[in-house]
Amino acid sequence: MSTDGETTQSLHPLVSKYLRKERMPHMACPGCGIGQILHATLLAIDDLGLTPKDTVWVQGVGCSSRITYSTWIGDNIDAHHGRIFPVATGLKMARPDMNFILFTGDGDCGAIGGNHFIHACRRNLDVTAILFNNGIYGMTGGQVAPTSPVGAVTTTTPYGNIEDPFDMCRLAMAAGASYVARWRSTDFRPLFNSIKKGIQTRGLAFIEVLVQCPTNFGRYVLKTSEPKEVLRWIREHSIYMKDAENLSPEELDGKYLLGEFLHRTDRVGIVDRYQEFLKKYRKD
Amino acid sequence: MSSGVKPGKYFVQGDEAIAEGAIAAGCRYFAGYPITPSSETSEALARRLPEVGGICMQMEDELASIHSVAAASVGGLKSMTVSSGPGISLKLEGLGWGIKNEIPFVVVDVQRAGPSNGVATRVGQGDFYTVRYGSAGGNYCLIALSPKSTQEAFDLTIECFNLSEIFRCPVFLLTDETVGHTRELLVIPEESELKIVERIKPAVPPEQFLMYPLETPEVIHYPFPNIGEGYGICVSPYTHTSKGYASTTQEIQEKMARRLVLKITRNLDRLVRVETRYTEDANFAVVAYGGNARPAMAAVDLAREKGMKVGFFRPIIVWPFPDGEVLKIAEKVKTILVCELNIDGQLSREVDRAARGKAEVYHLGSGGVEPHLPSQIFNEIRRLSA
Repeated sequence: MSTDGETTQSLHPLVSKYLRKERMPHMACPGCGIGQILHATLLAIDDLGLTPKDTVWVQGVGCSSRITYSTWIGDNIDAHHGRIFPVATGLKMARPDMNFILFTGDGDCGAIGGNHFIHACRRNLDVTAILFNNGIYGMTGGQVAPTSPVGAVTTTTPYGNIEDPFDMCRLAMAAGASYVARWRSTDFRPLFNSIKKGIQTRGLAFIEVLVQCPTNFGRYVLKTSEPKEVLRWIREHSIYMKDAENLSPEELDGKYLLGEFLHRTDRVGIVDRYQEFLKKYRKD
Repeated sequence: MSSGVKPGKYFVQGDEAIAEGAIAAGCRYFAGYPITPSSETSEALARRLPEVGGICMQMEDELASIHSVAAASVGGLKSMTVSSGPGISLKLEGLGWGIKNEIPFVVVDVQRAGPSNGVATRVGQGDFYTVRYGSAGGNYCLIALSPKSTQEAFDLTIECFNLSEIFRCPVFLLTDETVGHTRELLVIPEESELKIVERIKPAVPPEQFLMYPLETPEVIHYPFPNIGEGYGICVSPYTHTSKGYASTTQEIQEKMARRLVLKITRNLDRLVRVETRYTEDANFAVVAYGGNARPAMAAVDLAREKGMKVGFFRPIIVWPFPDGEVLKIAEKVKTILVCELNIDGQLSREVDRAARGKAEVYHLGSGGVEPHLPSQIFNEIRRLSA
């Protein structure tokens, strides 16, 4: 992990254009998938023509957030662990004209911030939330997460995890998000398209990315530090929606479904509703 | 946006006066979670904020309320949340985020009898230290103001907003159920008579601006650029450099901690506000704050009627604690009686510390539910004077 130091190599053009050079290289471990997600995000930002003046990056706590925090050349707002959605609510309600891209983790969003996430979906807050799901607590050193698979040996489940993992996408859909999709960090093109669509969607867009963590998920759950072995595990435990159509529930057990699950354009979120509401009750 | 000030005379509760004070101060974002005895403020703001183009949210819990309030301030809106004991316990997390990032906003604590849920509908004064020291990690000072009446609830709410902008920090209005639920006269003056501090904006371009003035820790009236103003601000839960970047060095930790403390302790002259009565010739002083100051004052009046040389002292800005003012009283009198609605002794502990042994300090405590009766306090004055 590198936290500072001079960058001597030439930077990727997207990095030069959108990230703070003094914050490079970022903190991600070798083989981590966060860089791939960042790449897709920056490309989506570039494609849509978003600017540092109209777009804010919002983070929580965990690998997803610590690595992306204060790298965007615009405003960077990093919340306490789990409070990314309340913070995004305050920011977006105050500045409905701006775009908010949220980077959260499976612990941040699925555990400590789970209730906030549900209510942000219910309100259909107009933000784009990207969930980096590595199936483990990475930043704190390999503890079990609410997304860890059954049987996973972690530092806090030395005898194997006995709890079922959360399906965060189903949760988001049930709670009322406008856009929901799940991809792997290696599904670059669909991930890029989803982030773009998410930013353009009125209401809450939730994009879960299965991200390889060789440092902790690899080490404790898979007993390997090889990124490609973790990627192989993710590939074996995920399946595209179209490939899953003819499979039985037993065959799909323990597999992450990949795809765009929901794209609603009929549902108005809290931001639009509040503006309508103000038109009616404002007296000044 | 309009000022929203509605000048006139009103017969309202302290909780409602807080809402009007917030509107007058320019508060345009409120988020809360229902809790007795503070809900009347939320209800009043739910009616009033939309009228002035403001935002009122009922969030899923106390944590969400305070975090969204702090964030709305980063977004450029003056903001406030309210709660009481059990909710304040939860809000302390977001308070820390606000303190560390020097975000201006106001937190109202309408104290009730505790601990835990205690007696939800009845008064207590057990949060005196909670608001000051509750946010874990230390390395900060905090400002808290405490009203004794509906009128002061209005006036001091405005002052809380002003101080939060001047000092760039969350400020507490530490009130209690007695004040919150007492219905009495409120006079709202003309807008031109109100002193409102607006957010200070940087006078230098972004490349020259430092978000956190770690090298000049004592500076106040320091600008706070909001998101979308081109300053590329960085706000986070981590120890930060002047630019807002996370740091793990002792040097930066030291500088940030000093900034958070010294911006208040080096400007204490701006933060002394007390009420005194009959202290010139007193040999005995009664000290109380918030709603419990009123029976205490009545007891002092009673003692004066009986010819006893008793004075009265009330901190209005309760944090930072007015050490110097208390010492002045302690040097004059032989005995100080502190009346407060907790058994453990909170205000009395501060008074005892500030008195530096110059006077005997006694604690008249109560677990709460009812405020003290003037007769209770008077009897204690008589007993201690004998």
